[in-house]
Amino acid sequence: MAEFRLPANSRIRAGVTHKAPQGARDLRTVRIYRFDPDCGENPRLDTFELDAAECGQMVLDVLIRIKGSRDASLTFRRSCREGICGSCAMNINGINRLACITPVSDLGREIRIYPLPHMPVVKDLVPDLTTFYAQYASVKPWLMTQTSAPPDGERLQSKAEQEKIDRPAGCILCACCSTACPSYWWNSDRYLGPAALLAAYRWIIDSRDEATGERLDALEDPFKLYRCHTIMNCTDVCPKDLNPAKAIAEIKKMLVQRQS
Amino acid sequence: MSLRTPLASVLGQGAAKEGVRHWWVQRLTAVALVPLTIWFAVSLLSLPSLGYSAVTAWMSQGWTAVLLILFVLTVTWHSQLGVRVVVEDYVHGAGPKTAALALVTYLHVIAAAAGVFAVLRVALGGAP
Repeated sequence: MAEFRLPANSRIRAGVTHKAPQGARDLRTVRIYRFDPDCGENPRLDTFELDAAECGQMVLDVLIRIKGSRDASLTFRRSCREGICGSCAMNINGINRLACITPVSDLGREIRIYPLPHMPVVKDLVPDLTTFYAQYASVKPWLMTQTSAPPDGERLQSKAEQEKIDRPAGCILCACCSTACPSYWWNSDRYLGPAALLAAYRWIIDSRDEATGERLDALEDPFKLYRCHTIMNCTDVCPKDLNPAKAIAEIKKMLVQRQS
Repeated sequence: MSLRTPLASVLGQGAAKEGVRHWWVQRLTAVALVPLTIWFAVSLLSLPSLGYSAVTAWMSQGWTAVLLILFVLTVTWHSQLGVRVVVEDYVHGAGPKTAALALVTYLHVIAAAAGVFAVLRVALGGAP
């Protein structure tokens, strides 16, 4: 059966509180999920009181500040700090988003930071995305053709054809959408999830691709595709404002249309 | 712990080439249920009384019986499709899942047969 309670070794216990510095001007309480695989203990929730006026304006700046001045063992992924690499996706105040483009001023006095939900945790805020990446690889996210490319140039498409893939191709694979999807929580071993399906759609509607039928065949499955019940958390949380739910609906439509 | 590659686990046993029909019929039955449900509620509420004789007299009319049979079949069909998805979502493990899906299907067929039989018995004058 689906599990509605965390397994015993995943239950979160109270953690350490790091008190606010003297004379803080903009006091924020930041509660952060901590898990250390080496110590053999359950995860804990640490509390950091800090002066937001000393940090940059985004949540990622707060995390970097904490790591730099309070607890150097705090572990998280980050790279571009401008919302294009997708590394710092995490659950902030209950919503999956990118720490680097989430302003602290939007969040209130208390900020709660957890790793992306329902994924195995490697350490602290770092989830194990191995399966997520394998799901992306499984939709063959590359151009597949039988016709060879023109000898004197690239494969062409019209402006209108390009515009169709413009948005779906903007996915940065941050995993905010898939890990916000209840259907993905219960069945991520068989359901591909919104991110992989959006990638599949991006290639299905690519005018240059010649494997549309093969791609649709690979998705025609009660679990791989049809575990989507149009909950639309994916579209709700996407930090790039993409619409995976619509892409999945379009795939379902194409599968019906090719039957009659 | 499995030493299979992550891609092998995700690809699993491949696509079942199933699901389109389930999804489409679920939508078709849902659309059909909109007028059927409205008709059922409105006609029942506009009867002079909800007593036994008034309702059986209403059910004995030809078109009422036909629409009631369609209503019973569409409801049970739609419900079977929906409950099947719920089972697939939440019941994991091949054994329990297969058993639950079989049970759900049987129960819906029984409900459909009982519903149709009840309408026919009243409509064809077999009820006391």
